[in-house]
Amino acid sequence: MSTTGDAAKAGSSRYFDEAVDEHGHTRGHYRPVQEWFDRLSPEQVRALEEQRNESFRRQGITFTVYGGDEGTERTWPMDLFPRIIDAGEWAMLERGLIQRVTALNRFLDDIYAGEQAIIGDGIVPRWLITSCTGFEREAMNVAVPLGARCLVAGIDLVRDADGGYRVLEDNLRNPSGISYVIENRAAMTKLLPAAFADLAVRSVDHYGRSLLRALRSIAPPACGDEPTVAVLTPGIFNSAYFEHAFLARSMGVELVEGRDLVVDDHVVAMRTTRGLERVDVIYRRIDDAFLDPVVFNPHSTLGVPGLMAAARAGTVSIANSVGNGVGDDKAVYAYAPDMVRYYLGEEPIIPNADTYLLWEEDQRAEVLDRIDQLVVKPVAESGGYGIVIGPTATDAELAEARAKILADPRNWIAQEVVHLSRLPAWSGEGFAPRHIDLRPFVLSGEQVEVIPGGLTRVALREGSLIVNSSQGGGSKDTWVLGDSDQLDQAAPS
Amino acid sequence: MKLDICYRTRFAFDAPARESQNEMRACPVTNERQQLLGYRITVEPSARTLSFTDYWGTRVDQFGVTDAHTALEVTAEASVETQDPLPMSSEVPLEALDAPGFRHGHNEYLIRTRHTGWDDAMAREGRRLIQAESTVVGAATSIHRYVANRLSYQPGATEIGEPITDIVAKGVGVCQDYAHLAVALCRSVGIPARYVSGYLFSSDDRTGSIDGDLVRVQTHAWFEAAIPGAGWLPLDPTNQLAVGRQHVKIGHGRDYDDVPPLRGVYSGPGRPEVDASVEIRRMDPSRQPSTLMRPSLLASVKAPRTRQQQQQQQQ
Repeated sequence: MSTTGDAAKAGSSRYFDEAVDEHGHTRGHYRPVQEWFDRLSPEQVRALEEQRNESFRRQGITFTVYGGDEGTERTWPMDLFPRIIDAGEWAMLERGLIQRVTALNRFLDDIYAGEQAIIGDGIVPRWLITSCTGFEREAMNVAVPLGARCLVAGIDLVRDADGGYRVLEDNLRNPSGISYVIENRAAMTKLLPAAFADLAVRSVDHYGRSLLRALRSIAPPACGDEPTVAVLTPGIFNSAYFEHAFLARSMGVELVEGRDLVVDDHVVAMRTTRGLERVDVIYRRIDDAFLDPVVFNPHSTLGVPGLMAAARAGTVSIANSVGNGVGDDKAVYAYAPDMVRYYLGEEPIIPNADTYLLWEEDQRAEVLDRIDQLVVKPVAESGGYGIVIGPTATDAELAEARAKILADPRNWIAQEVVHLSRLPAWSGEGFAPRHIDLRPFVLSGEQVEVIPGGLTRVALREGSLIVNSSQGGGSKDTWVLGDSDQLDQAAPS
Repeated sequence: MKLDICYRTRFAFDAPARESQNEMRACPVTNERQQLLGYRITVEPSARTLSFTDYWGTRVDQFGVTDAHTALEVTAEASVETQDPLPMSSEVPLEALDAPGFRHGHNEYLIRTRHTGWDDAMAREGRRLIQAESTVVGAATSIHRYVANRLSYQPGATEIGEPITDIVAKGVGVCQDYAHLAVALCRSVGIPARYVSGYLFSSDDRTGSIDGDLVRVQTHAWFEAAIPGAGWLPLDPTNQLAVGRQHVKIGHGRDYDDVPPLRGVYSGPGRPEVDASVEIRRMDPSRQPSTLMRPSLLASVKAPRTRQQQQQQQQ
């Protein structure tokens, strides 16, 4: 099966092709895989897809789409053609991600537990922070050991027409998807062992150990060498429950729901078959609003009454930190490059997508003028909800977006359309170019660490730019190639 | 004026509660017109109290009881010295409200909240009220007077959480409703305003009259309007009083939810009967407070409310 035909034809288009250069030649780091796929017949590809689906179904690797017509549980859609990043490119991405997350941790710690120096020095306006829906006043002055507030960050990257990487959003609250990174790799190793031949693909299966190490590093200082960690889930009906269970299992720690925890004298304990056991670090996958009914939504039955007071007393650490949503506000995101300069004195290695702030009169005027060429996003949503893509929107949708911007300019941003790069994906008939992005996972603890690769998401519909799995996107295994001196980490094969 | 305050809340459950977790905001703040002399909180059955200052500057005492209990009693005792506020410059023109720096600096006090969600009709009413005014103090005072007359004082007629538009329609309320209505009207015309929780040394919220040395009341609420360049003007629309020595401020916020005297949850099959009371005694200025000590970090306490969603957006 040719995986390059269509892409080659479009070689000079406005999209960057990951696997093909501007002359239509397969890029060097894709060549072995390319040749391997070229030898497969459509029947062989379909047979591999069948095996993949069967395997995912058997293991219960699924994803839930809320409100979908096709039922809520769907098998995880992983495309067989992998995404490959060579060692040099990865080294740049790794440096850029560590830089960005380091600055974001500093920013959040400055806002919640510091002097708010970035406000005092006039870099970020106070009113912008206090008008964020994710700004949690209840988290004010709750200290976090090491200032590791973004314990797990899932930074969404895209590549523009020239192939340059850009940050599209910082997911600093509860980024999901890492379990699929690991499951994709396991499935690919089993389905296509020969495709890995002669390649030093860096391993991802140490994630559980790295996450546990990071979580233990933020344990309250008084709790000793082996802090007890638990994963707090909303429960089995949550779309990411599979991942919550997966993470607890891979760390070898308890998976708990709110009702399993109790706070006594500002100390958190879990109910176990052996009685109450003290918990030092909670990796929570519950939104802030449901975490503690005493201070947040009083009707929440998912949370733990008194948990915030325990965190304030310093007897338990909560990851990710409460209130990180202030950094996920898309208008605050626009300031991330300034945070890098302010806190680290460095130039950002990975730039933002070009972003317009709509409370600025001149920027707003320009956006309203060329709204049909831009992407308009609500500042407080994630998962692709509420986005209006100018070039494909109807007149009615554009008029509505205009009205919303005028009514509440602080709650919208606009961005230039990012022409997501493309990579072949199986269309059912053959391989055809589809748009992709990349969500690397970044852990903060004693130091900041990036898991090689991340989740490559792919828009499986032709021409679509929406890659979110909640909106019907798929995924790809992501291979980071090792240097020769990293061959010891080389994975499967 | 030196006042001793005793604020007691008692929950009696008809079936044992397994757990109660609560936060109390009952401690008078120290500011330019009042000084806290002593504060103590006690909980029965006993519980460890965590004390901290919240985002709004209010002292919070948090406590939990995890043994089965059929009653919970929390007592806050405070001793405080108050003064009348200094007169405020009344010449600041309404136009000063429009300065971007002023609006941005007070953005939290200009928004609609759960308790201050004004509608178009209220905004029209607000504009009418300040039509003849040229100063911010004049405008805020006009709204204050209007609210005092717009609602009739009627305990039990409204519930916390009722939209302010419903309260206007009913035309009745208690001090929280008066304060929320004034806050909403001020914000609707661009005057930053904040909700204030406190105590009033008067046997009658409606008149604010001082008629003895001991009163038995409930907690009180009023509001403050921001005057550009001059500070916050406190007004008590429930009794049409300027805020004075008989007012003891606990703290402020965007609305009631930022400074509730007591909030929390309990779990268990029963329902609580709640009995809350405030006793305020005027002390002879020459006499030292007899029962109170310095603010304590640890004390013991207990309290409730019912604990009544699983699909959440994941990123």
